[in-house]
Amino acid sequence: MKLITPRYFNFPKLFIGLLFFAAVFSCQKELHFDKAPENDHNIILKFKPVVQYDSIPLVFGKTYTNYFKEKYTPTAFKFYVHAFAMINVDSNKVFRTASDKYYLVDFADSASTEIKIAILPYVYNRISFTIGVDSAQNVSGGQTGALDPAKGMFWNSTDGYIMAKLEGTSSAGNFQYNIGGFQGANNVIKTVTLLFPYAQNLDLKPGKTSEMFITADANDWFYNPHDIKISANPVITTPGLLATQVAENYSKMFTVDSVANQ
Amino acid sequence: MLILGSFVVSAFKKTGNDSGGPHPLKLIIPSGFPAPQYTFTGNPLTQEGFELGRKLFYDGRLSKDGNFPCASCHQQFASFATYDHATSHGFNNQFTIRNAPGLFNLAWNKEMTWDGGITNIEVQPLMPIAAPNEMAETVNNILSKLRQDNEYKKMFKAAFGNETINSQRMLYAITQFVCSLVSADSKYDRVKKGLATFTQEQQNGYALFQTKKCTSCHPEPLFTDHSFRNVGLPVDPYLSDYGKMRITHNPQDSLKFKVPSLRNVALSFPYEHDGRFSSITSVLDHYSSTVQDGPTLDPLLKNKIPLTNTEKYYLVEFLKTLTDSTFIKDSRFSPPQ
Repeated sequence: MKLITPRYFNFPKLFIGLLFFAAVFSCQKELHFDKAPENDHNIILKFKPVVQYDSIPLVFGKTYTNYFKEKYTPTAFKFYVHAFAMINVDSNKVFRTASDKYYLVDFADSASTEIKIAILPYVYNRISFTIGVDSAQNVSGGQTGALDPAKGMFWNSTDGYIMAKLEGTSSAGNFQYNIGGFQGANNVIKTVTLLFPYAQNLDLKPGKTSEMFITADANDWFYNPHDIKISANPVITTPGLLATQVAENYSKMFTVDSVANQ
Repeated sequence: MLILGSFVVSAFKKTGNDSGGPHPLKLIIPSGFPAPQYTFTGNPLTQEGFELGRKLFYDGRLSKDGNFPCASCHQQFASFATYDHATSHGFNNQFTIRNAPGLFNLAWNKEMTWDGGITNIEVQPLMPIAAPNEMAETVNNILSKLRQDNEYKKMFKAAFGNETINSQRMLYAITQFVCSLVSADSKYDRVKKGLATFTQEQQNGYALFQTKKCTSCHPEPLFTDHSFRNVGLPVDPYLSDYGKMRITHNPQDSLKFKVPSLRNVALSFPYEHDGRFSSITSVLDHYSSTVQDGPTLDPLLKNKIPLTNTEKYYLVEFLKTLTDSTFIKDSRFSPPQ
């Protein structure tokens, strides 16, 4: 209690003391940086490219046929996903991941097709996520990670990011579907909710990791509800009606193929 | 205990300064200027960041064949426009499609380029870098070139704390440099501060600048309102450039281009988005007689801007006082040694 005798009640020194504590605290904060985070993920989402009713694996350089009997050979297939949510429709429990963490699933880069996320352990029977890049990120300047402009998915203009890309060759020549647009009627951002295969639930147990296989069907880009023929529209690279139609088509391309609980 | 505390604090502060962290800079906001649009949020302006940006700005390695640094189209002696070129030269003997704008007071810009296609200045460099008729290079190639250069490793470390060279840091540094290009030391500025006086001709021109309502689109002190307007220029059939409509796809934006600042206007000829006019007088001739009517013509130009030859002469005399000769010789902005 000596400290509160009038002799020590000296404002400059008290101030210095406070600064000292502030300094110590800021030092401590930095020390915590090196600590490895525990439970970094407990589910791995594995995206697989397919064609035709999810049955045929898609391989770049091979030729496939779309609904309109047009032959096409894909050379690039990628899309942005983020804001994952696991849902149990019976108990109405929903667990959401942070929506500002973006993933670019690029089927030319196998590492990018596996997304590791951490979910509160529980039994879930739906997964939902958003395809695309939210409007704020389209105008946020230089970014890192999946949104790094070096990934070649940034349009350098008010058009923002290319949210999904399917490119290749066809009998009609090269085709290029770079789908984007985030403003007003041109918005192509889609949120999808997927059912799990019959009798398969995601059953997360503390300390265990589950895997979920999700297929992405390239054929869905061309058909239902909108007819997109390569011969009529080989190049869709600006926001607008066609882009929104393709986005509506591809929002149905995902299927949860299987769930493997550990 | 308290004495010990103060000891540790001062030691802590010292190590903070000695550890080579970047030295903060403050953007100079000239008196009378409004608050800037770009506020360096998340990209604090530092001496080291500025110097790195300057090196990048003048480095040909940002282009595919090494010949087209940012500075090839943005020359300091032309207030960072391309001197005496309607459009600029780019990769493989190609022309750009538009007149290179001068680079100054960019921190006050809301949207970049003649059509406003870029809303955040940090990503502006990506456009000329990727354009096949400008720098024609990919960001990844540039980064791998920079990563092989030890000087860059040192400079990225000095500016950002470690040797990581990525697109965000490159864009941040270029942004720090170009946003530091503040031009506000023309004769006009010195007259405003009471350090100089206009000649009679310049004064007449300044008065006409107000009475002829030039200030509606070119208000002081930035001499632009950053809006997009159709000033009645007939569309060039070869370029077919419809300006802002290219970005918004909205017919109401047809033929609208950004109102450029008139600062340093005497240095930045030729004029307009495609450089079709080679002198200020030609621009004034256009406003007084050849404005072409159309559905998106700016209402302020419905009756043109009638000007006599004498009035044009006075206006040109005034506009010449907007040349900032300190800025174009400022060694901080010239190529690094």
